[in-house]
Amino acid sequence: MNGTVFQTFPITATSHTLGEYRARGGYAGLGQALREWTPAQVGERAKASGLQGRGGAGFMTGLKWEFVSKDAPVVYLCCNIDEGEPGTFKDRWILEHSPHQLIEGMLIASYALRVRHAFAYIRGEFDLPLRRLEAALQEAYAAGLVGENILGSGFSCDIVVHRGAGAYVCGEESSLINSLEGKKGFPRNKPPFPAVRGLYQKPTVVNNVETLATVPWIMVHGPEAYAAIGVKKSPGTRLFGVSGHVERPGLFERPTGYPLAQLIHEDAGGILGGRKLKAVIPGGSSTPILTAAEIETVTLDPESMTRAGSMVGSGAVIVIAEGTCMVRLLQVLSRFYAHESCGQCTPCREGTDWMNRILERVIAGQGTPADLATLRRLPTGIQGNTVCALGDAASMPVASFMKKFGEEFEHYVTHGRSVHDGRLAP
Amino acid sequence: MSTSTIKVTIDQHEIEARPGETVLQVARRHGIDIPHFCYHDKLSISGNCRICLVKVNGLPKLQPACNLGCAPNMVIETAVEQVQQARENVLQFLLVNHPVDCGICDKAGECRLQDYQHLYGPKQSIARDPKHHKRKLYDLGPRITLDNERCILCSRCVRFTREISGSNALGIVERGNHSYVEAEVPGRFDDPYSDNVTEICPTGALLSKDFLYKCRVWFLQPVRSVCTGCARGCSIKVWRRSAVRQQHMPGTDSAHVAYRTTVFENAEINGPWLCNKGYDQHKWMARERLLEPLVRGRAGTVAEALAEAKRLLESARNPAVLVSSHASNEELDVLQSLLGGVAVYVHRDWLPVEGEVVEDHLLIRADKNPNRAGVVARFGEREFDATAGHDVVLAWGEFAGAPPGAAHWIHLSLFGTPAEVPATVVIPVSNTWERRGTFTNFEGKLNAFEQVFERPAGVQHAADVLRSLAS
Repeated sequence: MNGTVFQTFPITATSHTLGEYRARGGYAGLGQALREWTPAQVGERAKASGLQGRGGAGFMTGLKWEFVSKDAPVVYLCCNIDEGEPGTFKDRWILEHSPHQLIEGMLIASYALRVRHAFAYIRGEFDLPLRRLEAALQEAYAAGLVGENILGSGFSCDIVVHRGAGAYVCGEESSLINSLEGKKGFPRNKPPFPAVRGLYQKPTVVNNVETLATVPWIMVHGPEAYAAIGVKKSPGTRLFGVSGHVERPGLFERPTGYPLAQLIHEDAGGILGGRKLKAVIPGGSSTPILTAAEIETVTLDPESMTRAGSMVGSGAVIVIAEGTCMVRLLQVLSRFYAHESCGQCTPCREGTDWMNRILERVIAGQGTPADLATLRRLPTGIQGNTVCALGDAASMPVASFMKKFGEEFEHYVTHGRSVHDGRLAP
Repeated sequence: MSTSTIKVTIDQHEIEARPGETVLQVARRHGIDIPHFCYHDKLSISGNCRICLVKVNGLPKLQPACNLGCAPNMVIETAVEQVQQARENVLQFLLVNHPVDCGICDKAGECRLQDYQHLYGPKQSIARDPKHHKRKLYDLGPRITLDNERCILCSRCVRFTREISGSNALGIVERGNHSYVEAEVPGRFDDPYSDNVTEICPTGALLSKDFLYKCRVWFLQPVRSVCTGCARGCSIKVWRRSAVRQQHMPGTDSAHVAYRTTVFENAEINGPWLCNKGYDQHKWMARERLLEPLVRGRAGTVAEALAEAKRLLESARNPAVLVSSHASNEELDVLQSLLGGVAVYVHRDWLPVEGEVVEDHLLIRADKNPNRAGVVARFGEREFDATAGHDVVLAWGEFAGAPPGAAHWIHLSLFGTPAEVPATVVIPVSNTWERRGTFTNFEGKLNAFEQVFERPAGVQHAADVLRSLAS
């Protein structure tokens, strides 16, 4: 309710419908863009707002659009709704409660990029979000907001919903494109980048849900207003999903530069059961972990996070309370990455599974100090050497856990059991 | 093409790259070895093995050389510590679940994985987990066996069936490190070019069932030859026992056996590919041979057969010669120099047999004879004329039956049993592997073959027979 771009309305049984979205001022940005500005002007406004991609990499959205050749006869837009990063649930919220905001954003982006067919690639596990999106699309088609000659402007754009089959790696833009083409979800080698040769070998822009859903607000309120929110270098608000050992887990829209400690201790109600904070994974499971001491001064913007040695990523803050066994926590993560590695390139295919097997053995009480040395070494062989970022995503947690909680691993290996045996007390 | 080149520096060597060339290509062209598994000159770039990672000055991350276009004044390092470490890591990863069973693997000795492990791999494995077990000795199709444990999932074979042979018969199924290569219809990988996957497989995963456990490759020695399967005339390697290894097995036939035939890369004719018929040449050549002359159905000496043939030819009123399209250009020249007004006809020794691929987009030609072009260039295209009243016919090559109308028939043949060769005189001649020479393929390109084996005692070279008949 206290948000700027997203959490501006009370959630009711009908708050996701077209009528209510229009009542909130929805589709005004689209109408304005189509009436008043040329595609190039829309692109300029997006660029001037300083909007950055919200999927994890944080690339400048306006710049991404600019990379697409102005002479290309066919350009595609893909909305990446394959929200698979463990801990992330912001795109889900947008689709469930404000799907029209995404549709409007996609249409404005399509107008800026001269896209005739836009694709919404939604992850297979999403059920309610899919139903809400499809219902919203039907409403929008019926109202003449999508399809031929939108709002009488002469601009036509269709939105095609494509359902994924359950692969984390398909959230990577080039494997999303492969999957959309009906191929196996293997990431492509870059170059060429999707902006040059993407979907069906045509220039393609792949944007995150939150990124696209922010565009209508920028159109209505102007890029200056957006650029004025949050920190200067990466302005705007972000949806932070706080999960883990907190009293009030949930999604919070906050301006960038918001203090992480405040988000955890005030907005999320503090640590569960009044325990002490142990660590925070600040931007989705693949970002390096921060200790309680490290988060004291950290703010939620790329610069501050980079200084602290981590990333804002997808804005998924996973809070870990004192008493949690970091060895077993890491094994949960390593099992996920071993399971989700697509198997295309060597370091990730073999490395993720190897790290997981070592951790499994350590947890079974059969680890040796040599195993820990191997575990420290393996991420260096994977990180930066793979086709896509999944290798990095899998190795960063291992490297950072080993670095910051090494003594817990050593204890596990020497004693055959965790320092934190037993359940987390209520 | 413009002559503009790009200057790049690889390991302090300043070299010139052609526009559009990748770092790996330009390095290979200049003799700088950058290891690679998944890259293949004729296949699309996959970039999955990650062993070709090189350091590019100015870029923080190592880059795969196979997918890295050359840019002006690019400085590339392949020998620095960081790159060596990356190669070591990749090999360590590849071998974590590899059975390392080189001792019983047919590929040992010509295995890329083995070579690179010795050149770039870690001295000792740091793995202590039990290895994952996968399918072994799985029949991918009638000719190919697959060992999934040895497979490094480089996808060369998959890309081959998609991009070269066009059968789309192979794919990688499942995900992560439990993924494996499988045929579209399991057990039915019957692509007419299927054996090429054994050649391009960088490990011992895909092996020829025919050659399986036959011989260690380092006992063998390849001899360059030409496939006689069709008018393409692909270059092949005939693998015989090397001279040293022959001495180790005195008194056995193994010295005279071709263990396998594989492709000899020839950019002008067949590139790096060869059809299954070519890979079966050693079986084709191992058919039962005619080893001594026949005179009127009885075995005779060479001298007897030559004398009888000469008598027949001298007494002939209207002799004719039928020329084999399996004869080499050198033999054809001998015949041409000896003719002197005798009628000459040409014929196709072999026509497509049932079940064979007649012609396709890649290599296979409908004409199943290797030197039809050479014969036609010298003697024209006139087929045998039964009405011309030839009383004696000197037939050279393989026939299904006697030339119609001829009273007497002198046959210079490679194969055949007395029942199949009802000629007046039959003189066995040497095969392609027992002599040197050249064939002209359907495009007019000459391709030379070397002698692989000595001819058997009762077998003559056709050129010698022709000379003695003419003297």
